[in-house]
Amino acid sequence: MIRIIDGLSEAVGRVVSLLSGVFAAIIIYDVFMRYVMRAPTPWAFDLTKMIFGFYFIMLGGYALRHQAHVKVDLLTSVMAPRTRRWTEILGYLIFFLPFSFVFMLYSWQFGLRSLAQGEVTYGAVQLPVYPLKLAMGVAACLLFLQGIAEMLKLIVGHEDRRHADEVA
Amino acid sequence: ENWTMTSTWPSSLELIEIDRKFVELANAMIPDEDLTIEFFEGGALVPAGEVFGAVESGTIQAGADWPGYWAGRDAAFSPLATTASLFNAVDYVNWIKGWGGAELYSEIYGQFGMVYLPYGVTNNESGFRTVDKPIRTTDDLQGMRLRLSGLEQGRLLEKLGGSQVSMAGGEIYQSLERGVIDGAEFSTPNVDLSGGFDQVTQYWSTPGWHQSSSVFGVMINQAAWDALSPETQEMLRIAADATMLWSLANTEKRATEAYQAFQDAGIEITRLDDATLENIQNMANETIVEVACENPNSAKVYASMLTYLQDYGKWRDASAPFNLGRTPAGPDLAAIEECAQ
Amino acid sequence: MLNEIVNGGISVLNNLLGWMAIPGIGGEAIALIMAGLLVLGLFMGHPLAFVLGGTAVLGAFIAGKPMVLGITINRIFGDVLDNFTLIAIPLFVLMARFLSDSGVTDKMFEALRHLMARVTGGLGLAVVFISILLAATTGIIGASITVMGVMALKPMLQYGYDKRLTTGLIGASGCLGILIPPSIMLILMASYAPGLSVGELFAGAMLPGVLLGLMYGLYVFAVALIRPDLAPKVAEEEQISRGALWRMLAVEAVPPLVLILGILGSMLFGIATATEASAIGAALALLIVIFRGRFTLANFYSAFLETGRTSAMILFIVVGATAFTGVFNITGGLSATQSLIRGLAEDPNTLLVVMLATVFVLGMFLDWTGIVLLCFPIFLPIVSEMGIEPLWFVVLMAVVLQTSFLSPPFGYALFYMRAIAPPDITTGDIIRGVLPFIVMVLIMCGLIVYFPGLITWLPDQLYKG
Ligand code: NA
Ligand code: NA
Repeated sequence: MIRIIDGLSEAVGRVVSLLSGVFAAIIIYDVFMRYVMRAPTPWAFDLTKMIFGFYFIMLGGYALRHQAHVKVDLLTSVMAPRTRRWTEILGYLIFFLPFSFVFMLYSWQFGLRSLAQGEVTYGAVQLPVYPLKLAMGVAACLLFLQGIAEMLKLIVGHEDRRHADEVA
Repeated sequence: ENWTMTSTWPSSLELIEIDRKFVELANAMIPDEDLTIEFFEGGALVPAGEVFGAVESGTIQAGADWPGYWAGRDAAFSPLATTASLFNAVDYVNWIKGWGGAELYSEIYGQFGMVYLPYGVTNNESGFRTVDKPIRTTDDLQGMRLRLSGLEQGRLLEKLGGSQVSMAGGEIYQSLERGVIDGAEFSTPNVDLSGGFDQVTQYWSTPGWHQSSSVFGVMINQAAWDALSPETQEMLRIAADATMLWSLANTEKRATEAYQAFQDAGIEITRLDDATLENIQNMANETIVEVACENPNSAKVYASMLTYLQDYGKWRDASAPFNLGRTPAGPDLAAIEECAQ
Repeated sequence: MLNEIVNGGISVLNNLLGWMAIPGIGGEAIALIMAGLLVLGLFMGHPLAFVLGGTAVLGAFIAGKPMVLGITINRIFGDVLDNFTLIAIPLFVLMARFLSDSGVTDKMFEALRHLMARVTGGLGLAVVFISILLAATTGIIGASITVMGVMALKPMLQYGYDKRLTTGLIGASGCLGILIPPSIMLILMASYAPGLSVGELFAGAMLPGVLLGLMYGLYVFAVALIRPDLAPKVAEEEQISRGALWRMLAVEAVPPLVLILGILGSMLFGIATATEASAIGAALALLIVIFRGRFTLANFYSAFLETGRTSAMILFIVVGATAFTGVFNITGGLSATQSLIRGLAEDPNTLLVVMLATVFVLGMFLDWTGIVLLCFPIFLPIVSEMGIEPLWFVVLMAVVLQTSFLSPPFGYALFYMRAIAPPDITTGDIIRGVLPFIVMVLIMCGLIVYFPGLITWLPDQLYKG
């Protein structure tokens, strides 16, 4: 179970991480067309924003798998390992679960409504907005699953739980 | 009832004064136990682009807007908000209150489970402000990157040889200062002044052909509206009407003061000549027919507006020069009616 | 189908957690509970992003307003996903990764170290200088600190600089990004301050920002003078000949420095926005790596992965913070805080101190966007009633915010430093490292109060002349 979720986050992370190269390329293309060819690209602005939004939101679970999210270890670093583990589990129960669960449900509601309306951007270039809104729901599911995996790791005392410092 | 209401405008933009006026009037007229509206400035609860969704889903009960922001959900929101070279503020008031426009607002917003009370009109927008190249004729638009909002407006600008850049109001100042865009339109002179545009532009080209006048109002979640007594609903309508009259006079007064301020700041103000405006009118007409025929709802709204223009034109022209505004040579009504559902 | 599941899920959730609602709870109590939850979660060592988000959700349930949870999604989409400015974050990080993973920046700092070999605290001064340049390009705290940390942390430690001095210096210099124009914070502040323009704020913050940078430099110089063991000079026998130095500078230091200066220049001279500059910066960094013959596919790919994780880390904090601020505002926390401050004092000077102290304290808990949204509507009317120049006050507030990013336990700069520092640097080290810099910012605030011209002089020259 833990391995399946880890694998899923890892796979998504490894592919989605490459998108930063894609939106960098679109921005450079637009800058080139604008200053060198004097022909700005009308779709570049909206499309770049969309790919960027998709990029970071999909990486939430991947960052969690690598324990890259910032936290304060002021107290936990001086705790006994057992106390520390249970404190961390409690943190997931109180904060992570309510947030990610709400994030998941409401994002889906948000995305499905946009899909039903066939929402597009409102300027002369009309790009569909709903794929990004739906992606937010998918991203929230991935984050939720990875959080469950992290909790399970804490509960069973999993060895493979990487420390933030190793990946930074 | 207790309502939470927000706006698409941050407190720094004068447009929010219209929203504040409505809330103030409504809260003063309606007994607290029947309805109290708590108003939050734009950005405090949700970002401007999300006010629609927040009211639609019932997360908040009311949201002040400019309908054009929602044209991505239905192109008909665009003519409900503004027109390219067509209506002036009095035309909007006439059409909404006397020629059935109000029903179209209810119909279009109604599709999304909302009631709409239009409560603000502002007349002609400033026009384009440019950094280092004046726009004296439409030839000057060639190859310019201009900040402009709106679907019809963007298409029209493309026809004239310019290129549309969409960006939020808060980003315009910096983009002008850094030359990322060559120029921008934003709003009426007083609102532009509150955005500091006199500091970053040298030229101002009037009139605002892209946005001949604008409508503002409040979206109300249907369930929240239905929970009110008929008396309370009526009082909200009265507050909206009172605000609308106030907004017209107040904006024109403030715009006049701001025009003077721009002159004093040494901005070169030019006016497009009548031949140019006629040419723009023709292209605007083409664009309107084009957009309307892609979107049946939009065609329906435009058909109603053009019918009003033709109908009212008879008396308006007869009463010249003591009439209200002009009767534009607008787009072909028959062509648009064909495209309406 | 999916629709029913989602709506069903939402109503089940609301019924399930209905017991949490405290009927008739006031805004003050909500504000207190949310602040308490925030402190609790952070001390429990839970990720900041989810502490903020979780507190938002719990706050909505306690207030008995689960329907406001929808606004958290509206805010996350509108403020974070649909935001052109934030695109600069992953791209600046990517640029830093390209340069550092290939060893280009290590070599650059080595060359600078030799250049400054006879200057006390030379390498530290170089870091301050580059930080200020970078700070001016990004204007986003998380980005400047991460970028600078990724590039400078390793070489500074390697050349024997004290770990506290190193982390403190990088953290504090990185924060200058939000003060030295172009700054996303000043832009937002202008949009919420009636009558103040971005240009005036940029001009107003310029002198205090640069002076702070100079103070940081002086501090490093002084430390190196008094305690050479904390900031060692280049040993006599290690020094290289003048010719070798120039060759090394030309090859190792000039290309990346030209890159950084080019980015800054392209933004200052109106050629590109921060976002465009970041994309070009990343591409040029890659070119430098390729031309130096240091390109490997493995490094290239890992730069993307590391950038993905780091960007998600920074941006999820923005996600959590925007959710928190939205719920805090709508459940009455905003208005409760407003009336609390209004009621605190009558005397203008006391009120001024109270307002700045509030900013300082809030800065420990909230992201600066939250602070601006929270404080401006309360403070600015009070400020104009008192006849204080709004421009002066707003910039002073921006300077005070510098301390709050650095102040323990919840300074955002500390968190970002923590995320990129190696394990043998403890959080305690980082905190002790920034303390002297907090003192320097406070001195700066004092100077501004006694010499208001530090802020108002430049805008007066530019806009009132
Ligand atoms: Na406009
Ligand atoms: Na302003």
